[in-house]
Amino acid sequence: MSDVFILGAGIHPFGRFDASYEEIGAQAAAAALRDAGVDWTKIQGAYLSRMYLPAGSGARILRRLGSHDISIVDIEAGCASGGAALRQAVLAIRSGAIDLALVAGCEKMPRGFMSPSMIYSEWQIEMGMAVNPAYWAMRAKRHMHDYGTTEMQIAKVAFKNHNNSVHNENAMYRNAFSLDDILNSRLVCDPIRLLEICAPNDGAAAVVIASKERARQLGMTGRAIRIAACCHSIARYSADFRSPADSMSATANNRGPTEVTAALAFEQAGIGVEDIDCFEVQDTDAFCEIEAYEHLGLCAPGEGGRLIDEGITEMGGKSPVNMSGGLISKGEPIGASHLGQVVEIVSQLRGDTGMRQVHGAKVGLAHVLGTGGHCAVTILQR
Amino acid sequence: MTSSNTCPATSRRAIRRDIFSGSLESPDKLRLRGSRCAKCAEVTLGQALSCPNCGSTEVSDITLSTHGEVWSYTIIRHRPPGDYLGPGVFEPFGLGLVELAEGIRVLAPISGDVSKLRIGLQVQFRPSLLNSAQGQEVVAFEFAQEGDASHV
Repeated sequence: MSDVFILGAGIHPFGRFDASYEEIGAQAAAAALRDAGVDWTKIQGAYLSRMYLPAGSGARILRRLGSHDISIVDIEAGCASGGAALRQAVLAIRSGAIDLALVAGCEKMPRGFMSPSMIYSEWQIEMGMAVNPAYWAMRAKRHMHDYGTTEMQIAKVAFKNHNNSVHNENAMYRNAFSLDDILNSRLVCDPIRLLEICAPNDGAAAVVIASKERARQLGMTGRAIRIAACCHSIARYSADFRSPADSMSATANNRGPTEVTAALAFEQAGIGVEDIDCFEVQDTDAFCEIEAYEHLGLCAPGEGGRLIDEGITEMGGKSPVNMSGGLISKGEPIGASHLGQVVEIVSQLRGDTGMRQVHGAKVGLAHVLGTGGHCAVTILQR
Repeated sequence: MTSSNTCPATSRRAIRRDIFSGSLESPDKLRLRGSRCAKCAEVTLGQALSCPNCGSTEVSDITLSTHGEVWSYTIIRHRPPGDYLGPGVFEPFGLGLVELAEGIRVLAPISGDVSKLRIGLQVQFRPSLLNSAQGQEVVAFEFAQEGDASHV
């Protein structure tokens, strides 16, 4: 497969803003173009990942950058929308149809619980089952039962991520909390607590990507980052219990979506999990990160709690995870979340992240997983 | 419970069209409906056109067991969003995956004392009645902790 490079990356901080989605999306896209040193009119195709925005949002955002007549499409794949959009752009470049593309992710979401009809059927809403954290909580509860994972271990993940967020100027919450603060925060859905979950919010992130040849023509410098893999897939039958599932099989034994997507990404990149210097993974709730350790292959099933106990995933550990503070601190503007991770990894690989820098990072992995079992894994290499 | 022979369709509806076997006029006799694949034997909730596991179209309707065991659960601590038809004054309630003998775990509210919830708890299926904003009776379902005598 031919190489595709990220030439520029831009982000609009995640948080809650008066600005419209068009404004924050255009700001992130403009920042990515500036970083790449590429003029908008040279872009040959653009993709917007989003879930909650109106029809044709991509064009409505990007026409602010100037008149253009290229194909601009919106892509939706739940929490993995950003991965699906980036993958489409990579495929378009690899096909030879275009050689310079812009991929943006943008969202503007109301405070509190997300609008349930975006995810659930009416009957599930009527029965009171349209509560996203409930699905995370049931997986956590069963994991605790099967492997002895503790509430303290789940709290430690939140503690780590909140601590990391202090150094991230793009995060919504930048407060360190004590383990006591976390374990005493109110229960949302047992055993998951308020300081262990992410909040829906506003944000945008974007990258400019190009074929190797085009990148060279544009005077590719050491700041270009290779997309070693960008994969998206959905959970096989009953491989993952997540909203909006109404039941699961007690007999099927399919591999989970993170295991499947990560295996595909490692194969494409020709490397293994041990080669990754820094990770950004889905932590919509703190337990979800423990599960991701296991499914990405950082440890065996049931050992995710041990990993956090041993400090392996904290700053300075062997496999640092969510140096950005994760979604728990940044918030989850769904369409922007994976591209936000990608921008973070690009900054890490360029050595641009200051106090949260993983020294000498050469390879990074971004992972998202959500509604409907949509999963994306992107591996970037300096 | 009241029933009307003239216009039952407007006075009472099932929470989901394909989820029960039996008549809405006799809610106590309703059972959960499932679908079993003749090829891979997977059982799914409600009616199916084909098997979501192996894709076979050799699927048949079955009636699911009424007795189950809690496989995992949580407690919903805040009023669910949207058109939730639960009690006007919100009470925290159990929500769990209940494993049935057919090899399926069904997501359902679990009535009874939330402090007694645990994995492995034995529970019993029962239909429940909710009221829609339009004044319709809505037949839903839950699993009751065994020994919990309260009934709709």
